[in-house]
Amino acid sequence: MAPLLMWLIMVLCLVISLGKYLFGLILRLAHPSVKIRKDYTFEPSVSVLMPCYNEGKTVYETMESISKSNYPADKFEIIAQDDCSADDSYAWMLKAQRDFSNIRIRVGRNKENCGKARTVCNALQHSTAEIIISIDSDCIFHPNAMRELTASFSEPKVGSVGGRVGVRNPNESVITAIQTLVYYAAFELYKIPENWTRSVCCISGCLFAIRRELLLEIEPAIRARHWFGVPVNQGEDRFLTHQTLLRGFGTYINTDALCWTTVPNKLSVLFKQQLRWRRSIVRDFFFTLRSLPRHVFRLHPNTVLTLVLTPLGAIIALLVVVNSLLSDPMAWAGPMPMITALAIAALLSWWIKKRSVHETIAHPLVFGAYIAWAIASSLFLTPLALCTMDSADWGTRVKTLEEVSVGNPNS
Amino acid sequence: MATPTLEPDVKPVKKAAGKQPLHYRFILATYRIFAIAALYAVLFGVIAYAFVMGFYAVNTTWAAPVILTATDEKSLDFREKLITSQQSIEDLKVDAAKMDAGLKEMRSHRDALLALEPEIASAIDRERQHNRVDAPELTALDRQKLADDAQTEQVLAQLDGMQANIQKDLASGLITKADAASQLAALNQTATSYTDSRIAQVLLTDTVLDKTTLGSTTLEALEKQAELRSEAAQLDVSIQVADQELTEDNRQISRLHDAIVTAKQSPYYLNATGQNLLNFAFVPYDNRASATPGSPIYDCYLNMIFCRDVGTVVTRFPGEEQALHPIFKTQIRGFLIQMDLRHAESAKSKTLFLGRKPLLF
Repeated sequence: MAPLLMWLIMVLCLVISLGKYLFGLILRLAHPSVKIRKDYTFEPSVSVLMPCYNEGKTVYETMESISKSNYPADKFEIIAQDDCSADDSYAWMLKAQRDFSNIRIRVGRNKENCGKARTVCNALQHSTAEIIISIDSDCIFHPNAMRELTASFSEPKVGSVGGRVGVRNPNESVITAIQTLVYYAAFELYKIPENWTRSVCCISGCLFAIRRELLLEIEPAIRARHWFGVPVNQGEDRFLTHQTLLRGFGTYINTDALCWTTVPNKLSVLFKQQLRWRRSIVRDFFFTLRSLPRHVFRLHPNTVLTLVLTPLGAIIALLVVVNSLLSDPMAWAGPMPMITALAIAALLSWWIKKRSVHETIAHPLVFGAYIAWAIASSLFLTPLALCTMDSADWGTRVKTLEEVSVGNPNS
Repeated sequence: MATPTLEPDVKPVKKAAGKQPLHYRFILATYRIFAIAALYAVLFGVIAYAFVMGFYAVNTTWAAPVILTATDEKSLDFREKLITSQQSIEDLKVDAAKMDAGLKEMRSHRDALLALEPEIASAIDRERQHNRVDAPELTALDRQKLADDAQTEQVLAQLDGMQANIQKDLASGLITKADAASQLAALNQTATSYTDSRIAQVLLTDTVLDKTTLGSTTLEALEKQAELRSEAAQLDVSIQVADQELTEDNRQISRLHDAIVTAKQSPYYLNATGQNLLNFAFVPYDNRASATPGSPIYDCYLNMIFCRDVGTVVTRFPGEEQALHPIFKTQIRGFLIQMDLRHAESAKSKTLFLGRKPLLF
């Protein structure tokens, strides 16, 4: 009975996942209501909150890209908050403040390292704008990004809007090429059915816009997040999106609001990043289960299914992979997984080349390596995430003072 | 545009752990112990899995025990085929015996027919020789008879006058009626004798014709001879066909017999017919060097360590078998061996090792 149930859930997860991609494609091509009504004359005041930790010179580049925004300069400000970086990030922030005098930049620093989520909350204390845009300090923003995000708030029931995150380094390695395809498919296909019902379950923290009152309402919950007393500093984007939905607001991803991030080019860094994300998913899953009736009655069925089946799928995938490796260890080495992966890669890379030249993959066939990653991640990420729920480690930006290469922000 | 610098944040985060309730601390401690144990278990599982995979990728001494039962599908199928083959042999033997008897009959009939032919030929020859002798004599006699009959015909032509004279004499009273009747009867007797003589002459002519030309008797004899030869030829064909069929039947019997002899060496036959439980194992071709009769067999814990000697290899069966690799689950080719196991439980192990312990302990 148990294996049957497991297979049923797995099939359901697969059907829903694959169905979402297919449905996303159909909706993109055929359904106008997928796109939000945008009003470019709506120009609310905006605070761009930029928490920063150990980004070095990248933070300067990020602020430079924001300074080139075509949003009216008097309508927005940057509030950059350093989370006690071990490197020269704070100095670069100050330099950006000096150099980009065309816009209003405020720079602050936490008394002690307290993680991204609380750093955002700290930055929020200095904002009075109507719309808050929280960004990652390692991204480069398209000049239109801010305008696209604010225009999407013309629908009053929309509480949070995200942008599409592109990859700056698609051809740096096999790993970055794979991530480029995954990112593109996620934003351009997977999220589309969620967009249709204005119920995106996770807006990326790279570019996250939210109404100020809403964020202020959620802020105490962000600060209070903990795992049996251990403060939770990760997954604030997923948490914010989830809270937005629970408060009856819609969430949306405007794929015309673009930003570019440098994805990990090393397996170890990628693994840590994915582990952090998986922890957020698991944490979110527990939260969903804890208040399932509330979810069922308040949220769109599409949202509930996504919130439940995505993490459940990861857990079932773990069991299926373990079962598969024990019962038929060579199954993954057959031609079908490789052919499927390569077919998907060929299709996606063709589409990316057509739609987003900067992200064109030089060697789409490297996507074949995704099979190995899929097996490894299915096997290890979920158990590791389940066993390290008390970890506050960000994973990808840990530096000691000895490791920091001190640049020359004063030049 | 003003670009102020913020004062350091006014809401520093205090370490939440410092104000953790007791039950949180207990749950967290329990969780961490469980998490560490689970992660070590995962780590151990991964290393063990990798080791098992690597071990079976390089090991060339393993064999997978196969438990065959009388109700095993292959055994049942095998028995069915064996019985069918034996039945076929029996049917073929009966057919061959019938064919052999028929063949003998046909041969004796042919011999009898062929024995008649010289008799017919000599009879024809004899007749021809007689004809050659009798024909000229009969021809001469026929001519003589014709001449005699011609003379007799002339004499008979005078009888009409004589009959008239007898009537005249009777009418004139020269002779009595009795004399006249006697004389007329004599005349009639002469005419009848002539008729008989003509008949004899016609028959003689016919006989001469028979003797001098190919007569119906000879033709009938020749027809009989031709029929006899035809029948003999047909028998020859039938004998040849029957002979070939018999040879083919005997060859088929021989082949089936060989097949049964080979099949009787199969583990499935031994399993189906044996009184005692026999132990078999599948050995892939890569491991055939270890599967020699008399080699010791080891059964190990966790399929690789702490091995014990549990028996020996008895026989290596020649037929090819296909089986799933016990670990990799891929289709592999190999053969079966019969084992003499001292520990019956070892037949249920996933793998056994032939020749030596796989890890030396």
